[in-house]
Amino acid sequence: MPYPPPPRTPSGPRRRSLLASAAGAALLMGCSGGSGESEESTGGSMSVTHKARARAARDSAGLLGRYDAVITAHPAVAERLGPLRAEVVRHTEAFGGTVTKGSTGTASPSAPEASPSASVPATEKDALAELAAAERALADRRTTALLDVPGELARVLASVAAAGAAHAYLLTEGAK
Amino acid sequence: MSDKKELKALQAALAAEHAAVYGYGVVGGRIHEGRRTEARSAYDAHRARRDALVREVRDLGGKPVAASAAYALPFPVPDSAAAVRLAAELEDRVAGVYSDLVRATGGERRRAAAEALREAAVRAVRWNGESVAFPGLAERAATASASQAPTA
Repeated sequence: MPYPPPPRTPSGPRRRSLLASAAGAALLMGCSGGSGESEESTGGSMSVTHKARARAARDSAGLLGRYDAVITAHPAVAERLGPLRAEVVRHTEAFGGTVTKGSTGTASPSAPEASPSASVPATEKDALAELAAAERALADRRTTALLDVPGELARVLASVAAAGAAHAYLLTEGAK
Repeated sequence: MSDKKELKALQAALAAEHAAVYGYGVVGGRIHEGRRTEARSAYDAHRARRDALVREVRDLGGKPVAASAAYALPFPVPDSAAAVRLAAELEDRVAGVYSDLVRATGGERRRAAAEALREAAVRAVRWNGESVAFPGLAERAATASASQAPTA
């Protein structure tokens, strides 16, 4: 038996191509019938999806604000945080949030959490530890939130939560 | 979510875990001593997931897919460096089936799948030292700048 094909090989052409067409700057959950589940097309479910996506975008934008605050306070870690921050930008955008280049992202005109002046620990080590804790806490919240949303959004939330947990690892144990 | 879709996704996850268990057997034989414990605990984790999936499939009235006697590796694994790459690749593939399982299931099964995806993503960065933006989402991997996964 051959080794199972890697996930990025289009083993399921039908679904893959369907998703590929829906995956742009923002994945429009439930609108394209991406997973073809009937319960996703109901009005109530759409509203749940809309709210959950907005929340997810806001959360990622808030996290981005924390990255920026840490980078501002401790410029020496900018290079190390750069790749992680870039992924948080992609998360924000995947949930429909917008990020202005070079500034903190906002998911909506009233994004409340992005306050770079929020206290950043005085040492780099503590600042990174706090960032790791924020990533981990958000990943935990998302792992719970994904239980209440339609399938495709749950899938994306699970992936982004997994990325957050990986970030937390890189910010702590992965520290050089 | 239909039972049929759910069962199919569970079977796909089980097949991937069979392959991961096999793959970590190879990893364990090649990886240098300093990382052998890590490989061993990943091996154990995948065996536990595999066994849990066997039970889930049975619970849904399915016949769990069996492991193959052998699998063709995605690339030759002659040394420790290749073993580390293989381990990362195994986690990557497992992440992909769990993201699909999250979509196909609900409730506790969905939560378990999300946790498995999360664990796979963390193990993947432990192995290769770099994260990807969307673990397990093949359709978004093409633009992932940090992806180091070999193209099999």
